[in-house]
Amino acid sequence: MPSESQDFFDIHKASVRRAMVLLALGALTGLAIAGYGLFTARGTRSRDVPPEAIALVNQRPILRSDFMTQAQTQFSVPFAQTSHEERLRIVRDMINEELMTQRGLEIDLPSYDPDVRNALVAGVELEVTADVLARQPTPEEMHAYYDEHTDRYSSEGVMQLRDLEIKTDATHPSASARTTVAAAIAALRAGTPVDTVVAKFTLVDSGRFMDAGQVDTGDILQFAVRAKVDDAIYNATMPLKDGEVSEPIEEGDGVHLIYMIKHRLPVAQTFEKAANNVWSDLKREAQDKVNAANIAYLRSRADIIVAPDYAR
Amino acid sequence: VLIIFGLFADLWRSERALPGEMLIAEPARILGDPMLLRKAVRIGKPQFERLCASCHGGALQGDPARGVPDLARHAWLYGNDPIEVERTILYGIRSGHPKARNVTDMPALIRTGQITKEDGDDAIEFLLSLAGQPHDEAAALRGRSIYYNKGNCYDCHASDAKGVNDYGTPALTGPVYLYGGDRKTLYLSILNGRHGECPAWIERLTALQIRALALYMVSATSVPPRS
Repeated sequence: MPSESQDFFDIHKASVRRAMVLLALGALTGLAIAGYGLFTARGTRSRDVPPEAIALVNQRPILRSDFMTQAQTQFSVPFAQTSHEERLRIVRDMINEELMTQRGLEIDLPSYDPDVRNALVAGVELEVTADVLARQPTPEEMHAYYDEHTDRYSSEGVMQLRDLEIKTDATHPSASARTTVAAAIAALRAGTPVDTVVAKFTLVDSGRFMDAGQVDTGDILQFAVRAKVDDAIYNATMPLKDGEVSEPIEEGDGVHLIYMIKHRLPVAQTFEKAANNVWSDLKREAQDKVNAANIAYLRSRADIIVAPDYAR
Repeated sequence: VLIIFGLFADLWRSERALPGEMLIAEPARILGDPMLLRKAVRIGKPQFERLCASCHGGALQGDPARGVPDLARHAWLYGNDPIEVERTILYGIRSGHPKARNVTDMPALIRTGQITKEDGDDAIEFLLSLAGQPHDEAAALRGRSIYYNKGNCYDCHASDAKGVNDYGTPALTGPVYLYGGDRKTLYLSILNGRHGECPAWIERLTALQIRALALYMVSATSVPPRS
């Protein structure tokens, strides 16, 4: 009777053991190939460089077109006149650049390098605003914009003023301060010099308009006044003409009066004078709109979770 | 039957090899190879008619109203080297693509206050003098100074005002102008600046179509390419 080991090697005879061994070998080979592909990520990679590329760096193509342009730019001669060595150098440089770029992404450079982040932000903004930048506003659009925003197109108003007050506290309750300020206003309106009134009624400068530690009684641009005072004082200040005094204005720190020394009101510009600014503003506004729409779109598809203390 | 089969097999083989052949060969070599060029034109021309002719015109004559150059009269802003043309088609001009051609654009010299309206008028007389058009001699002399000094125009348009391909700046000497060479159009260019665009086709066409398109456009204008 032939032994079982003899049947194993005789392919003319059936052998259960041989069948099991072959099955196991097949399964192991399959697993090894799958494992290699899975753990090295090389299972799907291409070994051929596509015709439009000069190289594949981690499967990312470097286009022939970019390569030829780079060669022409670097050597300042038509591509046909570059030598083989020069071309090889360009290929090497471009591969190195691609490797560095991929490394930058691998170590997540954009997440912490401010220069890379700024470059990315600028690049995305330029990409979304390209159409807007290219478009020139028509004269009709410029006129319509000017008519809609005439308040923006005027020379800047300038004023010289004093913001005087009686501070309110336990010794100067609000009612008493109001009475004193009203008397000071009456004196100023009667033509008493401002310094005399300040001394007589013990008024103090509010400290809002200072220049190098001194009260600023020089020219102050309207926008600067707007930035330094609240609505109540600004609204009381704007209508005042040269030498006029406001009504008493009650604020948290005391009762104020505004004495206008000189007020040069803003002068509206004609369309012709304002056209250059209208043109710039229109373009900037269109750019801002596109940027805002882009941010809104990005936010709409992003998963943003804000800490509870800054959620609103 | 064998001969016919052989012919078809050869045709099939050459068609299959075409993309590789067309993309690997240097564009200048394709221009000099009638058979390859014919194949490029066969692929490129329909793409031009489908995508480019609406702006560039069926005969590549351009459109001054939109600042589309007259390629038929060789007003190639970036030169007619097929490599440069291919790059323009791939990434566009101020298209928003990060690799788009965007080195410079015509600033709004008067709007931004770099020069005055009077300076602009003088510069225009100078440009008309370069083009051999009727002009005011005294104003042209003043305009010359604006061109080379205050306006800094020579920096992009070159000392001879013939434009610079590296920047994509047009010639200002005529007879072909990008937007028109009359006083009014020149004034509008100086007043508002210009910012022409060409879309990037890299996402919409294959590499082969783009190469063929570039070769078709260069060959259709029948002038030896120059960088």
